[in-house]
Amino acid sequence: MNWTLALPEIVLAVLGMAILMFGVLQKRHNPFHLASMLTVGAFLVAGMLVIAGPEGLGYHGQFTSDPFSRFVQVLVLVASSLTVIASLDYNDHANLRRFEFPVLILFATVGMLVMAGASNLMTLYVGLELQSLSIYVLAAFARDELRSTEAGLKYFVLGSLASGLLLYGISLVYGFSGTMEFDKLAMTLADPTKVSAGLIVGIVFIVAGLAFKVSAVPFHMWTPDVYEGAPTPVTLLMGTAPKVAAMALLVRAMATPFGHLLGQWQQLIVLVSIASMLLGALAAIGQKNIKRLMAYSSIGHMGYVLIGLAAGTPNGIRGVLIYLVTYVFMNAGTFACIIAMRRRGRSLERISDLGGLGKTDPMLAMWLTVFMFSMAGIPPFAGFWGKYFIFTAAVQSGMWALAVIGVLTSVIGAFYYIRIIKVMYFDTAEAAFDPRSASLSTLAAVSGLFTTLFFVFPAPLVGAAEAAAKVLFG
Amino acid sequence: MIAAVAFYVFALILLASAVMVVSARNPVHSVLFLILAFFNAAALFLLAGAEFLAMILVIVYVGAVAVLFLFVVMMLDVNFAELRSGFQRYTPIGLAIGFVLAAELFIVFGGWKIAPDEMSLRFAPTAANVNNTAQLGKLIYTDYIFLFQTAGLVLLVAMIGAIVLTLRDRQTSRHQNIARQIARIPADTLEMVSVRSGAGMTEIGIRRPKVEAAVPEVEHATTDHDHGAH
Amino acid sequence: MLFAVAIFAPLLGSAIAGLFGKAIGDRAAMAVTILCMLLASGCGVSAFIELESGDTTAGVISLGTWVEAGTFHVDWALRYDALSAVMVAMVTCVATLIHIYSIGYMAHDENHTIWRFFSYLSLFSFAMLMLVSADNLLQLFFGWEGVGLASYLLIGYWYYRPSAGAAAMKAFIVNRVGDLGFALGIALVFFTFGSIDFSTVFGAVGQHQDAAYHVLGHTYRAYEVIGILLFIGAMGKSAQIGLHVWLPDAMEGPTPVSALIHAATMVTAGVFLMARFSPVLDYAPGALGFVTFIGATTALFAATVGCTQTDIKRVIAYSTCSQLGYMFVAAGVGAYQASIFHLLTHAFFKALLFLTAGSVIHAMSDEQDMRKMGGIWRLIPLTYTMMWVGNLALGGIPFFSGYYSKDAIIEAAWASCSLVGHYGFWCTVIAAFLTAFYSWRLIILTFHGAPRADHHTMEHVHESPAVMTVPLLLLAVGAVFAGWAFHDQMIGPDWKAFWGDAIQIAASNHVLHDMEDVPGWVSLTPLVVGLAGIATAYVFYMFVPGIPGALAAAFPWAYRFLLNKWYFDELYAAVIIRPVQYLAQGLWQIGDVTIIDGIPNGIAALTEDGSSQVVKIQNGSIAVYAFAMLIGLVLLVSIFLLFLR
Repeated sequence: MNWTLALPEIVLAVLGMAILMFGVLQKRHNPFHLASMLTVGAFLVAGMLVIAGPEGLGYHGQFTSDPFSRFVQVLVLVASSLTVIASLDYNDHANLRRFEFPVLILFATVGMLVMAGASNLMTLYVGLELQSLSIYVLAAFARDELRSTEAGLKYFVLGSLASGLLLYGISLVYGFSGTMEFDKLAMTLADPTKVSAGLIVGIVFIVAGLAFKVSAVPFHMWTPDVYEGAPTPVTLLMGTAPKVAAMALLVRAMATPFGHLLGQWQQLIVLVSIASMLLGALAAIGQKNIKRLMAYSSIGHMGYVLIGLAAGTPNGIRGVLIYLVTYVFMNAGTFACIIAMRRRGRSLERISDLGGLGKTDPMLAMWLTVFMFSMAGIPPFAGFWGKYFIFTAAVQSGMWALAVIGVLTSVIGAFYYIRIIKVMYFDTAEAAFDPRSASLSTLAAVSGLFTTLFFVFPAPLVGAAEAAAKVLFG
Repeated sequence: MIAAVAFYVFALILLASAVMVVSARNPVHSVLFLILAFFNAAALFLLAGAEFLAMILVIVYVGAVAVLFLFVVMMLDVNFAELRSGFQRYTPIGLAIGFVLAAELFIVFGGWKIAPDEMSLRFAPTAANVNNTAQLGKLIYTDYIFLFQTAGLVLLVAMIGAIVLTLRDRQTSRHQNIARQIARIPADTLEMVSVRSGAGMTEIGIRRPKVEAAVPEVEHATTDHDHGAH
Repeated sequence: MLFAVAIFAPLLGSAIAGLFGKAIGDRAAMAVTILCMLLASGCGVSAFIELESGDTTAGVISLGTWVEAGTFHVDWALRYDALSAVMVAMVTCVATLIHIYSIGYMAHDENHTIWRFFSYLSLFSFAMLMLVSADNLLQLFFGWEGVGLASYLLIGYWYYRPSAGAAAMKAFIVNRVGDLGFALGIALVFFTFGSIDFSTVFGAVGQHQDAAYHVLGHTYRAYEVIGILLFIGAMGKSAQIGLHVWLPDAMEGPTPVSALIHAATMVTAGVFLMARFSPVLDYAPGALGFVTFIGATTALFAATVGCTQTDIKRVIAYSTCSQLGYMFVAAGVGAYQASIFHLLTHAFFKALLFLTAGSVIHAMSDEQDMRKMGGIWRLIPLTYTMMWVGNLALGGIPFFSGYYSKDAIIEAAWASCSLVGHYGFWCTVIAAFLTAFYSWRLIILTFHGAPRADHHTMEHVHESPAVMTVPLLLLAVGAVFAGWAFHDQMIGPDWKAFWGDAIQIAASNHVLHDMEDVPGWVSLTPLVVGLAGIATAYVFYMFVPGIPGALAAAFPWAYRFLLNKWYFDELYAAVIIRPVQYLAQGLWQIGDVTIIDGIPNGIAALTEDGSSQVVKIQNGSIAVYAFAMLIGLVLLVSIFLLFLR
């Protein structure tokens, strides 16, 4: 058994416990900043281990390391690091300077790494729970704020329901096939006579449980409330890393063990995808709170990502991965801009608060414009390329209707993204925001530069995504 | 034969007490029925030969979780009538969904067929002469070490979460610092002044007795230094 | 390596000056860009010398993959061969001198954003270097558009002047027309060769000789179509007749910009493209004929217009236009080497002329009208001398650089022995006469005669500071010696060794050889007509100043025709701009406001209604959310059980 397969996870967990001990024992100064820095450092170490680590299947078939898992793990680590950096400024102002914050993000990340490498339904579940539980706590982290605790509680209750569905699905699959390992499931299901209705219902339950985590319709109901209530860096986190991990999990679960049942689950994914795109496009229009708007936007984006999965081809999965990368960066950048919306120390969340930002803070307005254009899928920004790869894959698989609906909904979506730009540049100017901290400016600039310049050197990323996608199809 | 009879008895009581958990008017009764349900489930485990699981169920769920529930129910002022009204409001739709789901699952399970080669997998292969607990231990600490450790991390996170969300630095609670009390000498607190008879306090320059510490010191390490007293 | 440094150093300078210019200030921005340019020119010249001395071999420097889509593969790569090395060395040197010159010229800029100017200037240099060192058509197009963008920014540098803004837009839009042709050409190259990589395309030239396109019952040879489309792109960038209208207006930009972009480098990109694509073009005689025809016509047309202009920079601008025509004539008759040779010499002497003009303008307190100058040659002797040097080179007076390159072109046109070649010959000969004429007209009007400027201006006439005159002197060295120094290697006996594989010509093309055997009178004609032009100018403007006025009065239609630049702007306004405006007006009123706005507004209203309905369920109650999830689940299970089994 090759235990080094999980070395990044092990090292990260140990470092997390060390940071926890450090935070508890450190009494003189508030250890929040130092703990955050250490957490980012731990992510770096883990990232290097992921890249340098061996490949293979280990731990009795429970955990695997392959180009796909490594791609997702690196992306998750990047997203988590961005979150920690974003939290530095926000937590200072929101009186949340507590070292448990980065530590919880770290453990959530460990959970996501486990999810990315899961090759057994049990690993899938445990990783998911580790990630979810950490994020429940994070969502309620501002415990003196009613909105935050309510968000945490809602997410917890509904998340537990989803976990229940997932577990039930896993037990059905186990009951009808006799195994929980992905490889053996794939082997068993290659024989059509062994596929029973109960097993398919189990898959439906598993899809439902994972769809909750990626907030796809109709399991999206928690998203707007929780996004709005949670502290903004936590919203950033929820919008990026767990979405990536859960989507990767969904992709791997559908493609590897249930790959032979493509005909069955494809229709489910198509339905969920269409519903998500429609809701994401329609419901966001009336929103006045920018965090709520981002919630609906993320629902819509997950709809687009699901198109790639529905295509069921390596090209589709490649599109999924590229889309997730671009999505992580533009989302992180947008939330960095949202965190920077602060007047006299008070955080603002209404879209109208952005009025006249083009005059009062042209730099911030420019980056936010870049992100909004990218989200709307306007070339040459990164968001366009994500959509491009997804829609191309759908068309190649003959899913014209899906691609057409995707394009139509992205047109509707462009309306509310561009409305934000309109508010910034054409509405009457409000008072200027407080000066931004260096961490937020850096975050916005890094994400913005990635989003803008993605088209210059897309080849390495596309190549890596392609290699990752091919793994799933043997 | 006896085992079969015992199974049905325990199973029936289990189902009945589960129904009572949901339907009992008095929340304390609900919890007590829950405990009963746990005991019966443990008995079923025993019948199936999983004595370790049975004991764990009793120790953890009855000994810890259910007792905690009891405390919560008794000590917190929860308006159960209000909760129940919501419950009643959603009953019809809940029943409808439950019915549909049950019907669907029934259809599904109607087609249940147990493949012969999977029979062996459904019951964990147990070696003779090794008891249940040892067997579980061997599996958990070898084949399933990865999952076991990850599950441990889940518990760690739960612990951190509980502390983060509830531990408060209460400025109102005063703690005794015995070392300080013992180390105290009269000169710290007392000032001997010779008083001229008939003179007022201000005339002789005595304002107030020396106060050593205005705020009682809080002993334990706190995590949220920024939380002011409320 | 040196080569790559030469190309990317200006980008670094531009990025630093552009991003941090406001923070570090004008002086630091100037220092950074100029240091980067000095580094670039050092590296550029060394790379050229290394290549020519045989120390390094030509090759491709790969920087990574850019686009990978099916069979369409594009790399970021630098092509290092004689052609690109010459261009890189020339561009970096001229650009460096102009950067330095700009310190003095822009010192009194009222805009106070000199860092912006230097950033743009360096950005332009980078884009131009990218263009000349590209290894595939897409990268070349990237540089092509990059120089277009930088040119737009620099012409519009004084954006608060309406004329500058309009000129910048005009340059950009007119170039779009050419770019359309270029883009189509690239697409057809990919369509025909299956690649846009130069090595692949040039290697496969032999295989696709007979490729043809069938459009509407006609058959067109692929090479001819590609050649003409690429040339249309070149016409836009190099201001050839028809698409030349933007160049004179581009003189609204600061004079160093005119010198760098609209004389020495960017406008020659079209000529470079022709030389770069010589392997394909050499098999497209029809396209080459077209190139010669347009080039010759431009040379003559621009020279005639130049004779009547009164703005000192516009005269030089038309002169540039005319000289570019010469280069295309050379390319059209197959003497690509001669066209690049003329490009090189022209870069030096035309940059010199522009910078000298800038020096004059500087001295005359920003006056550009030659009618308000005169009598200043004693006051600014150095500038005056430099103007002479530049004009002697431009006029093709022996042993100045223009003499070698221009004569070579005229001889090549004769030696091509084709009808269109002879047309080119006669046009260029007449243009040579006119060139000499308007050059000395410029000198005499500007420097001689009685001072026509007001008293106040004359008091302030002064020689420019050293930071402006030193670049002039260096360029003058180039203008005097470049022709003599490179003649043998570029078009003389050693040309095969010099160019290597950079310019591949067909086996049937021996223009360069035939050039040596032209009759004696052909070689002598340019010199004779040049001297005649100078003499005429002296007669017209110095000795008998009444003649020009009398001529204008005698042939008013001809004078007005020339003064209004053959009515090109008016023609375009009548034929293209106004009909398009009417069409746009109509489409806007009927098509856009009524139909196109009407439909989306209706749909938008529907969408908003839908939106308000959709969010109604989002009421905040956990129970509702949970039920929504469960109903969704039941629906999915039902759909599966009912339909998908």
